[in-house]
Amino acid sequence: MAITEEQLEEILAKYPSKLQKNRKKHIVINNADCGAQPIEANTRTAPGIITNRGCAYAGCKGVVLGPLKDMIHITHGPIGCAFYTWGARRNKAKSDDPTQNFINYCVSTDMQESDIVFGGEKKLAKVIDEVMENFHPKAITVSATCPVGLIGDDINAVAKAAEERHGIPVLAFSCEGYKGVSQSAGHHIANNGLMDRVIGAGDLEQASGKYPINILGEYNIGGDSWEIERILSDIGYQIVSVMTGDGSYEALKNAHVAELNLVQCHRSINYIAEMLEIKYGTPWLKVNFIGVKGTSDSLRNMAQYFGDPALIQRTEEVIAREVARIEPLMGQYKKVCEGKTAFCFVGGSRGHHYQGLFGELGIDTVLAGYEFAHRDDYEGREVIPDIKTDADSKNIPELHVEQDPNRFKLKLSPEKMAELKAKIPLSYYAGMHVDMKEGTIMVDDLNHYETEEFIKLLKPDIFASGIKDKYVVQKMGIPAKQIHSYDYSGPYAGFNGAVNFARDVSMGFASPTWNFIVPPWKEEPLLTGTVNEEGVA
Amino acid sequence: MSDKALYRDVNENPCHMCMPMGGILPIKGVEGGMVVIHGSQGCSTYMRRYISEHFSEPIDVGSSSLNEKGTVYGGEKNLKQALDNIRKVYNPKLIGVLTTCLAETIGEDINRMADEYLVERQISDLTIVPVSTPGYGGTQAEGYFLTVREIVARLAQPTPKHNKVNVIVPNISPADIREIKRLLDLMGVEYTLCPDFSDTLDRPYLEHYSKMAPGGTKLEDIKAMPGALATIELGATIGDEYSPGQFLLDKYGVPLYTVPIPIGIKNCDTFFRAIKEITGKALPDSVRTERGRLLDAMVDSHKYNFAGRSVIFGEAELVYAVSQLCIENGVYPAVVATGGAGGKLAELLHPMVKECPEPVKVLPESDFSEIREKSSSAGVNIAIGHSEGRYLTEHENIPLVRIGFPVHDRVGGQRILSVGYTGTTLLLDRITNTLLESKYRTYREDMYNLYYKEDSGGLSATKDEVNSDGLHCMS
Repeated sequence: MAITEEQLEEILAKYPSKLQKNRKKHIVINNADCGAQPIEANTRTAPGIITNRGCAYAGCKGVVLGPLKDMIHITHGPIGCAFYTWGARRNKAKSDDPTQNFINYCVSTDMQESDIVFGGEKKLAKVIDEVMENFHPKAITVSATCPVGLIGDDINAVAKAAEERHGIPVLAFSCEGYKGVSQSAGHHIANNGLMDRVIGAGDLEQASGKYPINILGEYNIGGDSWEIERILSDIGYQIVSVMTGDGSYEALKNAHVAELNLVQCHRSINYIAEMLEIKYGTPWLKVNFIGVKGTSDSLRNMAQYFGDPALIQRTEEVIAREVARIEPLMGQYKKVCEGKTAFCFVGGSRGHHYQGLFGELGIDTVLAGYEFAHRDDYEGREVIPDIKTDADSKNIPELHVEQDPNRFKLKLSPEKMAELKAKIPLSYYAGMHVDMKEGTIMVDDLNHYETEEFIKLLKPDIFASGIKDKYVVQKMGIPAKQIHSYDYSGPYAGFNGAVNFARDVSMGFASPTWNFIVPPWKEEPLLTGTVNEEGVA
Repeated sequence: MSDKALYRDVNENPCHMCMPMGGILPIKGVEGGMVVIHGSQGCSTYMRRYISEHFSEPIDVGSSSLNEKGTVYGGEKNLKQALDNIRKVYNPKLIGVLTTCLAETIGEDINRMADEYLVERQISDLTIVPVSTPGYGGTQAEGYFLTVREIVARLAQPTPKHNKVNVIVPNISPADIREIKRLLDLMGVEYTLCPDFSDTLDRPYLEHYSKMAPGGTKLEDIKAMPGALATIELGATIGDEYSPGQFLLDKYGVPLYTVPIPIGIKNCDTFFRAIKEITGKALPDSVRTERGRLLDAMVDSHKYNFAGRSVIFGEAELVYAVSQLCIENGVYPAVVATGGAGGKLAELLHPMVKECPEPVKVLPESDFSEIREKSSSAGVNIAIGHSEGRYLTEHENIPLVRIGFPVHDRVGGQRILSVGYTGTTLLLDRITNTLLESKYRTYREDMYNLYYKEDSGGLSATKDEVNSDGLHCMS
């Protein structure tokens, strides 16, 4: 069921006029007749709308750095920020050396008022010393919170001095919460730091195994990368490093030896993939390991890239075996799901990836969006040259890399590259819009009010999002599926993940609980529905 | 009393959160209350995430979304815009504006901004309560009480004497608040309980969802608090500067009864004694029966409880009450810890822990690294506190009885009932049964190790050897 421009206007009419204009640009009703449909994204959130976006610190320490298991991540700031990123993302990690897995630790300088007044540099230096003594980590990161930049603590200088004292890398990240417009800024700051300081720091000149690859933008939520690695290892790939799910400093420092970089989450890491190509000549391939088709297509594209007939054959064998194994399972879930509709609003790439898996289950995604993506994640990389850099993006330092004189190696001839690009998404991402049907809606930075209004209008059968909007949705009588943390389930990636997801979603529909809950519109004739009802004012 | 050998600067696995986090809850406990956090938007997003997970409820909290420009030119424009947008969509009666590290570090004068805003927009039907809650200024417990104090201070008006009693509650569960209300209703006491998030943060499923949760302390009632017979404040540990009751005493002369949370028989008795002193109303028979049942349960469970050696951690006020309960029942605490300074906690615990048969480590400004180390060395076999204590289970095999805030790895944080005689009975049962569960889980293995294992020391086994269970060491 599509909505009309008039209905959209009606929703926005509740806002003050300035906000109406602002939000209108973030919402697109997909319509092929309109030609290109630009959407506003990665711009400031209007104050006071109940956004789901986080801050630069969240993106830097919370998302990108946190999963690196053999480093101690120090949050320099008052206690809250550290506490709130403590295991909150369910990024799992295992380690052969249990003394070097710090994934469950949360370390903070716990700044007090006196530190704000007199500066926190000395305290930070002491904390680094104490961390060295307690944990003997291979490397340390320091992430700044809001007050750090404001009081002028020079965390880079403290980190540098600590490196000299202890002889291990101490990486400082100026990811104060007020930088940029969302956690996306923090992803950039973190990834730039890893690119600059970690990748290439290892001595390896060549990978030890065949078909060496890196997986970029995969955070091992609920064990996703373990399932992906299971499949890739089975086919015969050597996974050099994962950025950063179940990742490690030890692995990442040799990431330069890979022959192909896979990009799972385009938003958080495409720029690093580009830098790796410039510096080491390693091409990147957009993959999507969510859904049976997404996974199979990605595997086939990878095999094509390497072009080895044995690898292509092995890929087909593994796909055939896995699909044959899971098809009957998926089939039974499909019966429960067929004909349903979904909203899919997640962070940076999952808002797109999960549409494919929903589709395989017979569920149509009628509304989708991203919390913190940029225009290219909606409209495809073609629009990158047209994206205006505003003041908020300019204050995120850009990293410029050059060809590494010793390690740059062209992996493919330009002709071969051009030939492959015509067939597989090498250095390319088409964005979410290509997979969305006519009349469906894309909403950037969806907020609570719009969530409710779109639900009343489109009456989806399931809402895939996060913890903050989950309960609004469930209070409206609709099952919600957390796609950030998977409601303590997972993995959802790869073949096994697709089955897990299908099971969880089916369970969401089939639970007898819903026999006692009837969303209001199911009892009321559609035409007299309470579209604009506000409940209690 | 803290015997930290060396002062450490690092906080490793924290036991507390920040001030604005605590400030959100009381605003949600006021009729028509909405929150704006003045700072970068990550603050509100993170706090909403934790509060949502604890209560399984939508937590709408606005942010002024300050960015780099705001840090240079100030955040006034953003804050006013946030207030505009929230008013339009939510139409709240009261907006609490909580500051953050950012706003405080750049010196935002939110009191002036709030006053100016109301004048500029010519609004008379909205109350704005600005509260200074820098993240570095204290823990969520201080943020909570300070916000209640500011709400009361902002709304209270000189009022003729009336028959109500003010009841100020700390960060207890909605189920706890409902229990206190039930008991007061049973006794026929008229009261204003503040903040009351028993409905707003634990909503029933209703056919129509409304953005603003019904319930919360009525603004009219808060305004009239200065005319009350007295204030009962469940805030034994909090400093006077954070105390709403102290404010009502100082400014309006409302007598203040500071009592612990009614958990444990003594604390419950103290609570009801205070009510009797204020209103003359004695314990009704039905509540006397509840008290009798608690005593009966205490007798029935004493032999199991006596084998318990506990670590109690979390917000000081709750820690204080739970320590009392544990001491009353022989689940003697070995470690009592709180993440912040803990107000008067250490001083209040001193006479209590002196009576314990074995040394009790009281650890203010602690973290889980220290709590774990001290618990392990003291042979602790039961942990009582919020979800972060799960690390004690994972690393030290110490089972955790979940209570307090946040409970984010289990459902039902909002329904945990622990106050009053009945609530205490339920909490005590949870503690006893957790001890029994460990006992049953390890009993066979312990017996085998003790009597049949080749190199076992037989009956001469030392206490340390059976301490993995710990239950046998004192039985």
